[in-house]
Amino acid sequence: MTLSACYSELGLAADLSNEVEAVWTSVSDRAGSYRVLPDGRCDIIVRFDAGQKPVTDMTVVITGPITRFYDVAIEPGMGFVGVRIRPGCFEKVLGFEPAEMANSNLIGPDALAACPALKSLCMPAQDQAELVARVTDFVRQRVANSRFKLTPLGRSVISAFHASGGRLRISDVAGMHDVSERTVQRLVVKATGLAPKAFAAVLQFHRALRLLRDHRLSAADAALEAGFSDQAHMSRVFRRMGGFSPARLPAVTLVSLRD
Amino acid sequence: MSARLGYTILYVADVEATVSFYEAAFGLRRKFIHESNLYAEMDTGQTTLSFAGEAMAEMNGLAIRPNRKSDLAAGFELALIFSDPNDAYRKAVAAGATPVKRPENKPWGQIVGYVRDLNGCLVEIASAMPDLPPARPHNQSTDE
Repeated sequence: MTLSACYSELGLAADLSNEVEAVWTSVSDRAGSYRVLPDGRCDIIVRFDAGQKPVTDMTVVITGPITRFYDVAIEPGMGFVGVRIRPGCFEKVLGFEPAEMANSNLIGPDALAACPALKSLCMPAQDQAELVARVTDFVRQRVANSRFKLTPLGRSVISAFHASGGRLRISDVAGMHDVSERTVQRLVVKATGLAPKAFAAVLQFHRALRLLRDHRLSAADAALEAGFSDQAHMSRVFRRMGGFSPARLPAVTLVSLRD
Repeated sequence: MSARLGYTILYVADVEATVSFYEAAFGLRRKFIHESNLYAEMDTGQTTLSFAGEAMAEMNGLAIRPNRKSDLAAGFELALIFSDPNDAYRKAVAAGATPVKRPENKPWGQIVGYVRDLNGCLVEIASAMPDLPPARPHNQSTDE
């Protein structure tokens, strides 16, 4: 189901923290599948053969914003180095809007066609550490050379959705920023690739998952605090977005979230 | 069991901007800002006033209604004590605080006005409570 045992997030250089939420690595120790849950984020991932040194055979994957889970087949020894890009920074790093790839991934040649600069990640590397440094460097350079900038309003709107755990309605967010709902719609789609309602639903799902797993709340308490109308509502959302019931949480990897 | 007030923490969109605003508008001084820019404390004496980034709320597993200037003010206020509330009010508004109510004299001898800060939080600008007349010692009966 998951390769959470081998997943780890690395400490970050401070100057990356504005655009990058996490740099992570993972090496699978068995065959199986890995469940990817919607988290409102996009990742740039380099997949490689962890048994190979130097590493010569890499595949770049860009994961788009999703609203439903999907499973990725993994084999023993498959290695991954990834950067999770903060909402609002996708375009700055990759040069195109995340909405162009909602609910889809770009793999290998498709990823390189969408962002040719990614080719630099596929040069032979001594080891995983060099790949990490290279991916980190790539993002730093792209950010430094990009003219795209998330406006203070855009940042504030995205932060409001996050801070409320997806519980604010679009009309609330629009009202508290003194802008129209259309403006909120436009900002959120541009930053995350998802419509505000879908983005909020993903955040709400993620928070409920944490309330159950990390805060160990009962299903009734978690549903109430997460803002679902009742437990049945929460269960439906869990089945749709995660493919499991709140009563049987799998050992999924929950990424660390920051706005 | 007894508790004492430890901190007052406001979750804000921009910790650094909020600290700078409180320095400019109210003359408070920063005690420190964490390098992550997600947490800061002001030098406010016995009762600590802190600001935490909204991302901290999420990291702590909390969900909040974020404070925003154009929104209805949340149901709490910070009360700051000044020797000259009228002057403090003018300076706060000049520094960008939103005027809500000019300082006025209260029947109990205090001067009290209200502004909203850059995030829309209510801040009371007041003089210190006047000293109450000294209480009579308990062992002296009044109906002698």
